[in-house]
Parts: sequence; C-alpha cells; structure tokens
Amino acid sequence: MIFIEAGTRSLRSFDAQLIFAEQLAARGFNVCIDAEYLPNDAGRGRVYDAAKFLVDPGEHVVEIVFVIGADEIDDHLLASLRQKQLAVDVPVIATGRFEAQQSYIAAKSRLAYALGREATVLDLTDFQPRSMLPTAACPLVADIRTTSRSAGKKSNVAVVLGSMELEDTETLSCLSRMSNQSVYNLRLIVSGAQNEAIRTSPFHDLPTCLYTDLSSLILATSTDVLVMFGHGVAGVRMAAFAVELMAAGGIAIDCTDDEAIVSSGAPALIGPKSLLALDGYLTGKILGNIARVAEQAAKSQWLNSVDISRLETAAGLKPTKPEPVRTEQRTLFYPTNGVGLGHAQRCAIIAKALPDDITPIFAAFPSCVPLVRREGMDCIPLVQRTEISDRFNGNDVLTYRRLGATLQENDRLVFDGGYVFDSVYRLILERNLSAVWVRRGLWPDGRSRPRMLEREGVFDRVIVPSEAFEELNDTYSFGDNIHTVGPIFRKAALTEDERDGLRARLAERFGRDFDHLVVSMLGGGVASDRSAQLQAICGMLEDRADCLHLVVTWPGSTVQPATFGWKNTRVVQTFEATKLCLAADVVISAAGYNSVLEILYNKIPAILIPQSAPYLDNQERRARALADRDLCALITEKEFMKLERTVSDCLDQGELEIYRSALNKIDLPEPGAAKAAEIIAEAQYQK
Amino acid sequence: MTVFNAITCADMPKIAYVIEPRFSGGTSAAVAAELRAIADFGQLEVHAVTSRTFGENRHIAPVLRRALDDLHIPLIWDAPRVCADFVILHNPSFLKFNDVLSTKIFAQDLIVVTHENFLRPGGEEGFDVTACLNQIEASSLALRRTLAPISPYNRRTVTDWLSSTRVARQWRVFDQDWFNICQTEVEPPCESPRDRRGRHSRPGFEKFPSMSDLDRCFPKSSESNVILGADALLSAGVLRAHWTLLPFDAINVDEFFGMIDFYVYFTAPTWQESFGRVVAEALAAGKVVLTNPATGATFGDAVLTCDPGDVDGIISDLVAEPQRYHEQVSKSQAVLDRYSVKSFKAMLSKIMTVDSGVLR
Repeated sequence: MIFIEAGTRSLRSFDAQLIFAEQLAARGFNVCIDAEYLPNDAGRGRVYDAAKFLVDPGEHVVEIVFVIGADEIDDHLLASLRQKQLAVDVPVIATGRFEAQQSYIAAKSRLAYALGREATVLDLTDFQPRSMLPTAACPLVADIRTTSRSAGKKSNVAVVLGSMELEDTETLSCLSRMSNQSVYNLRLIVSGAQNEAIRTSPFHDLPTCLYTDLSSLILATSTDVLVMFGHGVAGVRMAAFAVELMAAGGIAIDCTDDEAIVSSGAPALIGPKSLLALDGYLTGKILGNIARVAEQAAKSQWLNSVDISRLETAAGLKPTKPEPVRTEQRTLFYPTNGVGLGHAQRCAIIAKALPDDITPIFAAFPSCVPLVRREGMDCIPLVQRTEISDRFNGNDVLTYRRLGATLQENDRLVFDGGYVFDSVYRLILERNLSAVWVRRGLWPDGRSRPRMLEREGVFDRVIVPSEAFEELNDTYSFGDNIHTVGPIFRKAALTEDERDGLRARLAERFGRDFDHLVVSMLGGGVASDRSAQLQAICGMLEDRADCLHLVVTWPGSTVQPATFGWKNTRVVQTFEATKLCLAADVVISAAGYNSVLEILYNKIPAILIPQSAPYLDNQERRARALADRDLCALITEKEFMKLERTVSDCLDQGELEIYRSALNKIDLPEPGAAKAAEIIAEAQYQK
Repeated sequence: MTVFNAITCADMPKIAYVIEPRFSGGTSAAVAAELRAIADFGQLEVHAVTSRTFGENRHIAPVLRRALDDLHIPLIWDAPRVCADFVILHNPSFLKFNDVLSTKIFAQDLIVVTHENFLRPGGEEGFDVTACLNQIEASSLALRRTLAPISPYNRRTVTDWLSSTRVARQWRVFDQDWFNICQTEVEPPCESPRDRRGRHSRPGFEKFPSMSDLDRCFPKSSESNVILGADALLSAGVLRAHWTLLPFDAINVDEFFGMIDFYVYFTAPTWQESFGRVVAEALAAGKVVLTNPATGATFGDAVLTCDPGDVDGIISDLVAEPQRYHEQVSKSQAVLDRYSVKSFKAMLSKIMTVDSGVLR
C-alpha cells in the first residue's frame, strides 16, 4: 500500500493528496491516505473523494510512503513518519517545488531526522520549470492518453468562473443564454459563494457544479472544452482539471486576467477576457474545430513535462494496469427507499422480466433486502440513512463504497429513485457505467424540476413507468433517451375458492369469525410517519364486532406498540400483502404508485388516504384521478373526519359495489415491465 | 588612507563579531561566553545581521543580551560595513535563506566559526554551505579567510565538504578547535546512584532517536525516565506509563538534573551534535553520560559511548558498583577544563600573534 502523506495539513493540501491518490490509483497503484488527514470541514464532495482512500494506518502494511508538498513540512508529518517505524526497505519519496537549494536541503534533512534514514526527494521544478500553479502541493501530472472525442457529439463545455462576481445580472443572463445553446452542454464550475448567488437569483436553474463536487479526473473525462476565468488558476483542483483535460486531448481556453494557463507553457488557447464574448468565441471559432485544435495541442512538448510516467520513473514506481475482475457485464439494481418499498418492488418486477442471459443483482436498504432475496436475486445490503450521524449523507458515502466495490468499468446500473444520489452520480462517471434511471413521475408541486433533472445527463436511458391515467403522466424532460413504458406493478390473483380459504385461515389464525375484512396498508417506508392515522382507523373499527382489521406491513417495518392493543385489529407483517388485499372487503391504503396500480389492476375496492411528505410523489392527484372515476373512495388529509362514514358506506351501505363495478369496466394501459426490461438489456455505455 | 591602514592603526587589535543574535540555542550561548573571554584581547564590536532564517524581529537571545549588557557593548544592527583586524563570523548557516550578505566585511583575518556541521552522517549536506560561504566571500575583503570548526566531528564534516568543492581554495581551516566555552565546576556525584535516567534537549526531531531506540534507552525496568524537551512526543500522543514527558521549558535544567543519575542521550542517526553543550552540562552536573561514539568523541573518556541496546547493562553495572560511578564522574572535570575560558584564551593567544600580522 502506498501511503500518500502531505507536508502540511490543510484543506488545500488534502485536496492535493486526493488528486494525487486518485491519479496513482488510476495507474494501478494501491494507494491510501491516513484518516488523520481528513479535515473537519472537508465538505461533501471531498468526503466522497476521500472515502476511497482513507485508512487506519495500523491496519495496512506500508510498502511505499509518498510525501507531497515537501517544500513545506510541519511536525505532524514528521511525527506521523516517525511513528510508522518504517522498515529500512520501505521507500520514502517526497516531492516539492523548492525555490532554493536550501529549501531542498532543509526538506531532505527534516525527513531524514524523522525517518532515521534518507528519503528520495524530487524537486518538481526539474520536471516543470513553469508550473500552472506553483503553490500546488501535488505534482501537476497526468496520464497522457488520447481520448477519442466524437465529432458529431454535442460538446461538453465547463466554465470555471474563478473569482468572478455574480451580482451583475448581465453576467448571469449571459450564462443563462449559453446554458440554452443547442450546440454545446454548459457546466459552470463555481465556488460556494457563486453557487449561492446563482441559487438566489432568477437564474437559479443554471447547471452548476462546485469545485469539490467531482474529482479532477472525472471532470476531465466528462469535459471537452474547459474555459477558465479569474485571476490565476482557481486552486489545485482546477489546475489538476486543466492538466488532466489537456493530457486527455481536451481543449483548454485561458480567459484568466494573467493568462495563467498559457504562461505555464501549456497548449491552451487564449480566449476572450469577457464572459459576454465567450459564446461567440466558442460557437464561431472552437466547436467546429475541436479536432484540429486538439491535434495541434497534442504536439506540445509541455505534455512531456506533465507526464506522470516520468515522475513514476524518477520515484521508482512501476505502474500496473488493473485488470478487470470479471469479464462479463454485471447488472445491478439500486432502488431507493421511500414511503413503502415501491422502488424495490418495481425493480424486482423489472429484473424478473430481464432476458435469461442477464443475472441481475441488487443493492438495497435493509427493509428491501428480504423482498429482493425472496425473488431469488442476490442483494447487497446498504446502510439506511440515520438521523444520529452528523453527516447527513454518511450512509450514501457507504453506499458509494459498497457499490464501488461491486461495479467495475462498463457494468450496468439501474437506479430507481427520485433524487440521484451523489453515490450514483459519481459511480456512473467514474466507472463508465451503462446507466438506466427508472423514474416514475407525478412529482410533488414545488419541487424544482431542473434540480431533480440536473443529473439526468449521466444516464444512458431514462425509463418512465407511466401512471394508469393519461392526465397523471407529466413530462419532465425530452429526448431520445427518455422512454415511457406502461405501468409497472405486481400482478396477483386469487380464485374465489382461494379467497374463501384465505379468509377462513385468517379467522382461525386470529380466533374469531368476521363478516368484513378490512386491510390497512399505509406503507412501511421511511419518508413519513402514519401512526396517528393508523390509530384513528383502529379506534374507528374497534366497535365493529363483525369486522377483522388487519394492519399489513412489510416484515421488518416499525409498528407503533399501540397498534397491538386493539381487539379488532391485528398486525400482519408479510410479503403477501397483495393477496391479503385481494381477500379483503375493503383496503384502506396510501396512494403510492405501486399500491394504486395493484388496486386498479387487481380490481380491489379501496379507500385511498393520500400521504404527503417532502420526499413523496403527488399522491392526492393520483388518488383523485381514481376517485373521479368512482374507482375508490378518497379521504384527503383535511377530510379525515370522513373516515368513519366512508368505511360505513363501504361496509354497510353497498358503496363497494359501485367501486367494483367501475373497476371491472375501466380500460387500463398495458403493463410496462417487459418493455422496461428490454430497454435495460439494450442499454450500453454511450457517454 | 586605505581601509587596511585604518584597521591597523590602533594600539590594540580591533575585533568585530558578526552574528545572528537570534539563535536560541548553543550558538548564542557560545558567543556570549566567548565575548566575555575575548574582550581582553582588543577593541570589541558586535554586529548583528538580520537574516531570513529568523524573520524581521529583533529579539536577542537572553544569554547574549546579558553578556552585551555586562560588557557595555552596543549591538549594531545591519551595519553597511564592518572593518576590523579580526572579524569573527559565527555560524554561517544563518545565511542559508539569504541571497546576499548585505554587510561588507574588511579584515586582516576573517574567521568563520562553523557551529553547524557541514555534512550530516551519511554525507548529505547539513545546509546550503556553498551559498552561505559564497555570500561571505562576495561581501568580504580579507587577507585570510579561515573556517574554524568547533569540535573534532565538526572538523571532519568541514574538511570532507571542502575536499569535494572548488570553494576550498578560498578557505583555510584552523588546526585547533574553536570550541564552545563550558566554564563550570563539576558537581559531586550522588552517593548511591539509582537507575534514574533522563535526557534533555530541544524538542526537534533530529534530537531524538527512533522510537525503538528511545524505548531501549528508557525502559519499564528503570526506576524513572524523565524526558525534558518532549514536546513532539507529547503533541504526537506518544505516551508511556513509565515515562515522565516534559515540554522544553517545563522545569529548569538544575531541577531536571536533580531527577536523574544517568544522562542517556542519543539522536536521530541522520543528525549529529557538532559540539554537544547538553552533554557538557550533564557532565558538569555530576551525572554519568551515555551517548553514541560520535557525540562522545568531543568529551573523551568523560562519557560512556555505546549503542542504545547496551544502555541497560551499563547502567545496572554502575548502580551495582557506586565506586565505578564515582570514578566515571570524576573524569569529567579534566575534560571540562579543556573547554574553560582559560583554555579558550590560550587558543586565541596562538591565533592573535605577531605572526598574524595584527599584533605589534
């Protein structure tokens, strides 16, 4: 294991460690960073970057120590080196940009004092006499490789705003115009302050990416043209981005006041100093000539100065190209967890419909794992989000690590969820995954659509399972990669005899006869708490001696203890909820996508109680579409007092017949699971 | 009148010290003791040079401040020129971060006292010697330029370095050591030595051996282990239940010596004391000193030289035989006399002779 150490400890030097660790890892080296280096204020993006590398040093054998930023060494580093008590045959290599021979000698001496032997100290000014960012602690190097950039493809343009002020609406409106250009995709790389200024402006939908959102390596592979504004290069991440991009055949346009990129000798173009002139410059001069510009840039001698292989040779490192562990493509489904287990259930239905030559696996949260395994598919358990942790996305970092350990380049990932997590977004880009997003619609009002869709571009295909009724099928985005398929739900059936048999078994199991079977199924997910509603239903049914009330949840769901105290109510945790619903006289249900479709397609009389929470789809719209067609009873949040009367109407006044009749008459679209499976099977890496 | 006429017209030789007065350790202590000794030899001037090594402040090492006050000698900061018969520049390494020595030096004899070793064990340069000596050479006009090593080990690094550089022809090397003055009486040893060990040094990493050697020097089996100057160990959280770790200035040195009977001093193998004032102080305190052979060379048989692995055996033998402990301590005085003011004056009198062309 190569330990990447830094001369000093700061956010800046930690960035440098991450950049260099990622570069070495991409070259096939086994690298790590002592977890002690993680700054308290690392921020979200850095934590993801770091998660791959942070280790407890006591748990790993040190094979090589690589110190970056050795031109500035503090006692933390020296103490860390001394405590490692390295064997004499463990090479210690240090790099720095030494302004004077004394700085070099001082670094060499201090390392020798801590180590008790000499380190190999490499002066980066020997490799790069003119650095793009002399203060960078890491070597600004890259793997020189030719990356084909297809001529017909829409170019990805990343604009680094540097220190640009964004209070001026003219600047933002210019960026807005650029973001709507059809000949290139714009991505703005911004600081936290700039991001905030954009979010609070009328141009809040601009496509932004924070400096730390993605690693320089990923930025470089997902960008064709980089435009840099500001004074100097905006930090080590952006410098590494520029170097990586040029090394990979991309184009850098230097719009900095001081021509910071060009003055380093890099084969960048000098662009307009004003943002207002950029669009014309790009469309008029660059985008039509990308191949020729890249060809000229590839001839630059400067590339030799940033070639990582020279540094490796000087350091005595021998790269090994990592071989893939598997030769066959793996297909992994990752359903998120909402109110119920709808995402997992939908994924399981699609996975079952895949061709026989695809053996899918799942990664799912604990509540979904039994559901998936029950369908005969492997499932990697993920860690549920917890309120205990200070880091709101701590579980997603773990997901990132677990999925990262499972997926290799060109595997296939099917994500089912509303919000594309960082783990998903990063892994698709990092591993060049063939990616499919299963994204059902009916988003709640008020949710920013551009926010929800800003990561859509990383998916090769987007599958939109439709609703049963056309007025519910909102369209959020367009394109050849968007595929709307029929509703996806679980089919179930009971014959009359099976239904009677099940009801008899329930009577026997719970030791009481009943005339009416009521099933409450308000969901078992994590997004909202329904215990008050459930208690009200239990209380309302308590006086009905002719009635058995079953509260049905998924195994493992949390059920409030009070639910167990009712005479007429029993809690049933089962994977066969649909069959219980088929056996019931009436089902009281939330109006989630899966529940509603199962009710509709299986013709189950129901009272729908739509739920609302920030995570949820617009259940009220969905429930109202059914109610308007007399397919169910509807009780909204504000009408809960209607519940008792509604139940009475259903059980005592023959209301159920109205619903049964309507359900039997309604025409419904063809189910879409098979089509979704077909789309997934066809999806290949297209980025 | 030429510059050299101006220098030599006085009855007594003019002696100018060029120093960086902000060194906090051995250099300033040595210069302070030296000023008191050399004051009888001529007219004394002391010039301070502001170097980048210590930044912009003008804080003077307290020991030096006291000596200058006692001698009523003003400290002259950054004079454009220094003219004297003898110019003694102490510790040229203070110029290591400078590009130029702004003070011009005119002298019959320019003596550069090489406090820091030119080379580290293994042969790597201790600092950018060429740059420092080139600055001095470029800013000085002198009949003779001499490097004055302060110990046998320091001498070896100077001569080894000179043997590999063209700068050598500009400099001669004193054949006597320009040693640090250690003027002190030796305290009597304790009656019955116990296995009470300790070490005292500045907290830098170069002053400490590897953790495994430190563990060998200060084991659980000893009665007590006191490490004064353990700042780095403390901040790194390196703790042992059988160690008493104290920051550099936590207690005074006398108090520290009261806590130990054996002074066990090993450094990083990649660094070497050029003189070893800490060893001299321990000897003067009446302690038995155990150290590595290179450090011990300056002090002859007054110290016991060994490897860290031998420390336990040597100490247990001496604890068992107090007489041998007393005999060992008794060797200290003779050695320390070699570094007395009297010896220093004797050394100076051989340099500042009629032959030197200065004294008449």
